[in-house]
Amino acid sequence: MSDIGQVRLRIPSSIKPGDVVQVRSLIIHPMERVERDAQGKIVAKNYNYINKVVVTYLGKTIAVFDTTQSVAENPFFSFTFKATDPGQLKVQFLDTTGGRYEGTADIKFS
Amino acid sequence: MRALCWVALAVMGAGCAGTALDVPDYTRVPKWSSRALPEARGELRAGPDGKRVAVRYPGWTTRDFDRSATFAYDDARSEPPVQRVTMPAGIVGDPGKGRALFLNRSKGPCVACHLVPGDDVWPAGSAGPDQSTIGDRRLPDQYLYQVVWDARVFFPNTVMPPWGTAGIFSAEEIVHIVAYLQTLKGPVAPEKDRDRNPFTRAKPPGFGDNLDPTNNPAVVLAEDAEALWVARGPSGKACADCHEGGVARAMRGVAPQYPRFVKSYGRVMSLEDYLEVHTPATTGQAMPSESAENLAMTMVVKRASNGLPVSVDVASPDARAALARGKATFYRKVGERNHACADCHTIESAAGKFLGGRVLADVRSGLTRHFPTWRTDRAEVWDMRKRFQWCMTPLGMNMLAADSIEYAELELYLTAFDNGKPLSVPGIRH
Amino acid sequence: MNDGHAIPRREALKALGALGVGAAAGGLAPAMSAHAQAPALGQNESVQDAMKRLFGGKTIKDGSAVIKFDIPLIAENGSVVPVAVNVDSPMTPASYVKHIYVIADKNRIPVVTRVTLSPEAGKASVGANIRLGETGEVRAIVEQSDGTLLQVAREIKVTVGGCGG
Repeated sequence: MSDIGQVRLRIPSSIKPGDVVQVRSLIIHPMERVERDAQGKIVAKNYNYINKVVVTYLGKTIAVFDTTQSVAENPFFSFTFKATDPGQLKVQFLDTTGGRYEGTADIKFS
Repeated sequence: MRALCWVALAVMGAGCAGTALDVPDYTRVPKWSSRALPEARGELRAGPDGKRVAVRYPGWTTRDFDRSATFAYDDARSEPPVQRVTMPAGIVGDPGKGRALFLNRSKGPCVACHLVPGDDVWPAGSAGPDQSTIGDRRLPDQYLYQVVWDARVFFPNTVMPPWGTAGIFSAEEIVHIVAYLQTLKGPVAPEKDRDRNPFTRAKPPGFGDNLDPTNNPAVVLAEDAEALWVARGPSGKACADCHEGGVARAMRGVAPQYPRFVKSYGRVMSLEDYLEVHTPATTGQAMPSESAENLAMTMVVKRASNGLPVSVDVASPDARAALARGKATFYRKVGERNHACADCHTIESAAGKFLGGRVLADVRSGLTRHFPTWRTDRAEVWDMRKRFQWCMTPLGMNMLAADSIEYAELELYLTAFDNGKPLSVPGIRH
Repeated sequence: MNDGHAIPRREALKALGALGVGAAAGGLAPAMSAHAQAPALGQNESVQDAMKRLFGGKTIKDGSAVIKFDIPLIAENGSVVPVAVNVDSPMTPASYVKHIYVIADKNRIPVVTRVTLSPEAGKASVGANIRLGETGEVRAIVEQSDGTLLQVAREIKVTVGGCGG
């Protein structure tokens, strides 16, 4: 049963214009670690791990995480954005096999 | 006079549980054929060289701990007999070798229970006494040798494993360990780092909100698994067909009753055990113990009762009989290490202290209401049975089948301490 | 999906195995194609080589006055270690945090992540769960928009074992 690529985002339930909002995100992903053979040599293969996380708000990129195999499996990322207008916040996760996964949140003011 | 008798009987019934029902009775426990995944059955088979090997989960040891008692009800073996020994003459003890043995993770490590000096000592535990100045006590070599070989000679109720009797350390190795211990004299250097010392170390803060899907991957898996509720099995039916109104409504209040005695099978069953028999009988879908589907469905059903108090039956005759056996299992000395669950998990023993870097949990605080739990160091969901099975490997004992009656009744004993406390599934632990 | 209607198992399992969603919007395309060609940020190297590769010989100043580096001093295991970096910064186009690096000295791949921020982030406040191979120093290095480099480092103990694992 594969849940790879499942994304969850959490934002505060109430956002006012001008708030700097913290976003928590998690994605199910193996973040494959480097394997070594019995002699300790690195096994050459294309490891599947997320190497970029792109955060956009209202269509503009506001944060990018370049990531490596030293990031945990099922990685968690948090960041902030300044909530100026209602609109979409999108977090895209890109992995080394060409996998592209995303989570979105509709930012509304209340 | 009669009124007094009734009152006396009522007081006895309420205050003391020591009636005939609570003496473990193994005569009417049925045989159970495991329906768990092959790697979860505790099977042993002949290896290529004719020696028995264990069939276990990928990455787990395949060693057959055949010399030590298991939890199986039909395993009548008791503790290994106490061995009184004499330290061999003619071996010169090497403190350097002794120290390396003391820290060696493939042996004890002794340091898991006993603090000794050294910046490289991490993580030492506090389950046993601090050995940093044992050399000052000028104990005879022979005494220290006997304590390490088999401490039961002096301390019949000790939790210290009988390292020599069990064959974990050889005679020569223990001679080196004794030589090392005799070098440990004061004054002890002031502690530069209070976390090195388990007696002053900060308790671990845990992994945060277990129900937050951006914190606990198991929540994401459990949410996704709700699709199983409406999935049609080979019989053409889905769980939703009989249990109407959505899983949250239909299953609310069900999980807190488990484990429970299921009459039709004549045994105590956890939710995992019950799904293993119920799902194939209804939707036709196989759901063996320890399968991803079984773990997922268990999380789905338990989540429907999150926040409700655990309320397992502890009063009926069947429950009390099972609890008596479960409690006996909890206190039974087993394995190479000759340990009972109680040796680590009761306040009277080592609960609340550090075993290496881990704080040992106290059974009476309730340890079951967050299972199945996410294990961060494995990136896996573990149910209680896998947790029982895992504990067996460092103890040096063959594990039983995940769906065994022995584990179910032990789980019932543990779950009784959670009665009244709110379910919170899935958990998240290291 | 929970309206009680049964769906074939095949469909249910597809839903469980969620796959990638959608193509990038136009504005993101440059980031995407750059991503395909960029050399890996993470290399199997010593931390000294990593520092040289990323920062050359540039001076890295002590950042403890402005960097708040949250990381447990004892990690319960090396697989998941939560870290958070908060930098006191106006985050205006004139003065903002351009990059935050997390580096684990003893990891085989010491460079864990580089976060690139824009002033629209509002704050320089990021977090991630990282892996630590063993007890050792972990650094948070901040590059300001004017090129200044600041660092805070902590020695993190990684707990191993306990009941065999």
